[in-house]
Amino acid sequence: MARRARSRTYGLTAVALAAGLVAAGCGGGSGSGNVELRYSWWGNADRAELMQQAIDLFEEQNPGITVTPTFSEYDSYWEKLSTQTAGGGMPDVLQMDFSYLREYADRGVLLDLNEQTGENLDTGDLLENFQTAGEIDGARYAVPIGGNVFALFHDPAAFEEAGAPAPEPGWSWEDYDEAVRAVTGSTGADPYGGSDYTNLIWVFELQLRQEGGQLFTEDGELGFDEQRLAEFWEQGESLREDDQVVPASKAVQALPVSPLGADLAASEFSWDNFLARFAEEAEAEVELSPVPTSDPDRLGQYLKPSLMLSASAGTEYRAEAATLIDFMINDPEVAEIFGGSRGIPATTTQREAAEFSGVDAAIAAYEDELLDDLQEMPPAPPAGAGALEAEFIRISEEVGFDRMTPEAAAAEFSAFAERTLNP
Amino acid sequence: MVSTALSHDSPPSAGRGAAERTRSAAPRRRRGRPDREGLAGYAFLSPWILGFLLLTMGPMLASLYLSFTDYNLFTAPEWVGLDNYRALFRDDQWLQSVRVTLVYVTVSVPLKLAGALAVAMLLVRPRRGQGFYRSAFYAPSLLGASVSVALVWRALFSDDAVVDRALSSVGIDTGGWVGNPDYALGLLILLAVWQFGAPMVIFLAGLKQVPRELYEAADVDGAGRLRKFGSITLPMISPVLFFNLLLETVNAFQVFTSSFVVSNGTGGPAGSTLFYTLYLYQQGFTQFRMGYASAMAWMLVLGAGLVAVLLFRLSRAWVYYSGDDGR
Repeated sequence: MARRARSRTYGLTAVALAAGLVAAGCGGGSGSGNVELRYSWWGNADRAELMQQAIDLFEEQNPGITVTPTFSEYDSYWEKLSTQTAGGGMPDVLQMDFSYLREYADRGVLLDLNEQTGENLDTGDLLENFQTAGEIDGARYAVPIGGNVFALFHDPAAFEEAGAPAPEPGWSWEDYDEAVRAVTGSTGADPYGGSDYTNLIWVFELQLRQEGGQLFTEDGELGFDEQRLAEFWEQGESLREDDQVVPASKAVQALPVSPLGADLAASEFSWDNFLARFAEEAEAEVELSPVPTSDPDRLGQYLKPSLMLSASAGTEYRAEAATLIDFMINDPEVAEIFGGSRGIPATTTQREAAEFSGVDAAIAAYEDELLDDLQEMPPAPPAGAGALEAEFIRISEEVGFDRMTPEAAAAEFSAFAERTLNP
Repeated sequence: MVSTALSHDSPPSAGRGAAERTRSAAPRRRRGRPDREGLAGYAFLSPWILGFLLLTMGPMLASLYLSFTDYNLFTAPEWVGLDNYRALFRDDQWLQSVRVTLVYVTVSVPLKLAGALAVAMLLVRPRRGQGFYRSAFYAPSLLGASVSVALVWRALFSDDAVVDRALSSVGIDTGGWVGNPDYALGLLILLAVWQFGAPMVIFLAGLKQVPRELYEAADVDGAGRLRKFGSITLPMISPVLFFNLLLETVNAFQVFTSSFVVSNGTGGPAGSTLFYTLYLYQQGFTQFRMGYASAMAWMLVLGAGLVAVLLFRLSRAWVYYSGDDGR
């Protein structure tokens, strides 16, 4: 709490100072040879060290620009950013998440980077799947710096011991359920074969995409009907009733660690960058695996721009902000510094320059293998997607604890979505 | 933190009852002469008054205004009249948070006070090591509503942890409490009851004030322990009991930390620990619905204020102030 209060004080002080400077008529415009860019991002201390190296390199290449970085953990990052934005103290360059992009872009606080493209920002080298990432209605509010794919993780040793079939490309959801049952049966539920995947909105999205549907439409409405959502929640019913997957009470208790990380489950769905986390948390050796699908020709997976960079619409230094973004996505040395710590790089040059080791190498290999099967990414989620995600988790919990039938749950979610998307 | 309008310890009506009883005994001052003492008093008070106006009153009025608007932190607040308040009553989650908080208040406060009074009765008699025991019982409250304690409780009440095993060994098989919607709130209530140190200290002071001769007289008349407790101790400490009740009730309405830590900020499992302030925080700071959150905060002020007024009204029936027997 104290920290937040302090950061707010700093923010206010900064705003007051800036206002004072502007009033005094010394707003240093571009080219004055002394530009200070404020750059904020989320991450941990490890990433901060790498980030500082990259910033030093940038300042070396661009004399006259100083970069002042601030960073915090993911959750507090968004709390802080919202208050900064409200107070008019938004950083010049900031890390952006795909789920929040529209939330901010719709409110007109992000700079349309298209005006800088070709001058200070080069987006031509972005991977094919990322060419339009961050664009909304023809304006570009964010540029991706790294990507992730939604995937299945499993513990080969547990599967093998149970005699369960190993995951293979194109296997079906029924095959997966059977494998889960086999593992749970053979280990005596220690670990369970899997966790209840019906509480993950991303698995629902995966299934919808495999059927040619989508989670949100281009114009920000739900891309599915109540019936389909009820079916999704029903899928977990028999697994839960027979006690074949990790029960809700155990999963809740393990938070913030997921069942796979807590060694409660031998398989789980998550974004592929979680491999690093699982390698640290879980005792079992888990690996990235092919996802089950209802249509072997359509896996439903796509490269999601997990980390993006945006500039503030109110920044005084548009050119310099774009230069910094350009440097972060294109400079090969930056890729060497970060390796896979920012996800797999979003440009061809950086992807080739980055040297992956250990976990990063496994993620890169997984994505490379999928590259031809990856589909186009969905449109940016509507403002309020974050609230829907939270509501999805809450309602699936109710279903998981048997306090709500899938039908009632689907009805409640639809009503909530209606209120949230069309206030 | 969440700036609810409830940052003061005493409810708005706290001044009245006291004022009624202590009829102003100060001599009326003559007109026309500058009241220097008064001025000096205000001069000394000014830092507090300034702080109150700028840090409490101002934000409270701002949030009152915001509660009638649609405000998302980014764009200018938009006046929507009573829409936020209407939406509250259609919001299942809000109703759930009201339910959870009311259960918490009505169960945890009486239990906490009973525990505090019982321990204070034990500690009031002079015996060796008294100081040590007092400190020991007060220790949990020193740790207060801290995050670390909540983390420890979370660990104690997980599957296969200390509590689960202890209960299983005597044949009660509850499993972990943290992940069970039927038990999770009970765990937070227990945590609150365990922190009975502050009311205990106040009870101790109250118990020491009870004149010894009353007990001696009762002994002579052959009164038993229970009789003495009911006819002497309780009436004599009733003002202290009332004070504690009021304070703990208003505080219990504002509970936040324990659920935030134990449920990882979700209010789960299945909404069973969704305290009012936690839901307010979620609405304001994760969904950016600041207008809605302000309306929630004012409903909390109204609710807690109403309960406080009710307690004051009821107190006339059972609180005994020595010296006003004439009523």
